[in-house]
Amino acid sequence: MTTLIINKKEYEVNLLGHETLLEVLRDKLSLTGTKTSCQESECGACTVNIDKKAILSCITLAVDVVGKEITTIEGLADGENLHPVQQAFLDHGSAQCGFCIPGMIMSCKALLDNNQKPNQEEMEYALDGNICRCTGYLKIFNAIRAAGTQMKAHV
Amino acid sequence: MLLNPLTYHSPKTALEAAQLYSNLPEARILAGGTFLLNNLKQLKKKGLKTPRNIISLKHIEELKGIVANKEKLIIKSMTVINDVFNSPHLTDNFSVLRTVCRNISTNPIRNMATVGGNLTSRYTWTELGAVLIALEADMHFTGPDGKEEIISVEDFLKNNARSSTIFTHVSIKKNKEHSFAYQRIRKLSYIDVPMLAVCVRTTFKGDRFTDTHAVMNNCVNFAQRDLVLEEFLNKSSRRNGVAEEALNHLDTKIYDIRGDDYKKAVFRVSIKNAIKDLINQKEKNDHPDH
Repeated sequence: MTTLIINKKEYEVNLLGHETLLEVLRDKLSLTGTKTSCQESECGACTVNIDKKAILSCITLAVDVVGKEITTIEGLADGENLHPVQQAFLDHGSAQCGFCIPGMIMSCKALLDNNQKPNQEEMEYALDGNICRCTGYLKIFNAIRAAGTQMKAHV
Repeated sequence: MLLNPLTYHSPKTALEAAQLYSNLPEARILAGGTFLLNNLKQLKKKGLKTPRNIISLKHIEELKGIVANKEKLIIKSMTVINDVFNSPHLTDNFSVLRTVCRNISTNPIRNMATVGGNLTSRYTWTELGAVLIALEADMHFTGPDGKEEIISVEDFLKNNARSSTIFTHVSIKKNKEHSFAYQRIRKLSYIDVPMLAVCVRTTFKGDRFTDTHAVMNNCVNFAQRDLVLEEFLNKSSRRNGVAEEALNHLDTKIYDIRGDDYKKAVFRVSIKNAIKDLINQKEKNDHPDH
């Protein structure tokens, strides 16, 4: 058994060398907030944070991230209190069909953890790997600005 | 299950990795994983054979980081693209690397993909080859006996891949006199599928172009220098019309790819823009107030 640290919690998992992090999260640990979509690193739906960086779980071997700090969408809310990014997405109506949103939020969180006042170029740089087929980007950018302000106020 | 079963190896040193690579049958090196794992998924989908052993370099600390001194920049092979992009060492001739890294794929990929993977995956459309040829960079490898082998990026891309060696770092000499222009065109606006890249380097002596390297990546073959264009530019000065005239001095076989006229036209525009960019940089340096 191997220990994975996910959302600050230790999970004992029997890992096989060929299993991707996406498969382990969803199929072995039932953390299904991380979405399966293209499975070939194009869409960003499977984005999680590893050591505070946005990475794609569909092209990450689970055995390669043993000992790393893994954060998924399930790890953001503090009980009933949503993370500022989640709350801002809700407040700004940033989700349409919602399928891309967990990945989108994880990319936003990685951005805002380092920079609470990103400019438009920095937001586009951080989110260029997350595709929203509903094309709801403007409200997503509005949500990032609002969440950044909120997070800055609490630093 | 996205991948076929395999045995995962996680060496802690480059030497250990080289020895494993030399000894294990059907082994592939895993750097950032952005090429290899997608490639293995495709092979599985097609029912083709996949390697039995994967040697991950992700836990080898000696292969990560960027070091600079007065003479050169060293980028270790497991440094991810975003760490290159954010490096404070990208000054002088190295600053072109920031432009290149900015344009590679998407943010999560830039957080995962490594310099080593970009150069050694041997995909013709990877980005770093063209600019590293223009920078006259060298690649350093270590073998299972610990011996170092050095080869220029240009020679590496021309010849076959190294076997039983691990790419440890790339070294680039500092040069404050070089100016760079880089143009990259993608096929689609919403997903990064590179179409071509042009990197032109020169040193202006007065108004003259000297020591020019014009490197083209047509994404079908590996990045290569256009020696005909270089010769023309090295005999030219920065005058009106030189960028347009240069288009009559191209090594046409580099651009004649699968009869793609659109791509040839885009190449011509990109080369013209790159030369104009170099001239504009020179004019800004000479007349900063204008």
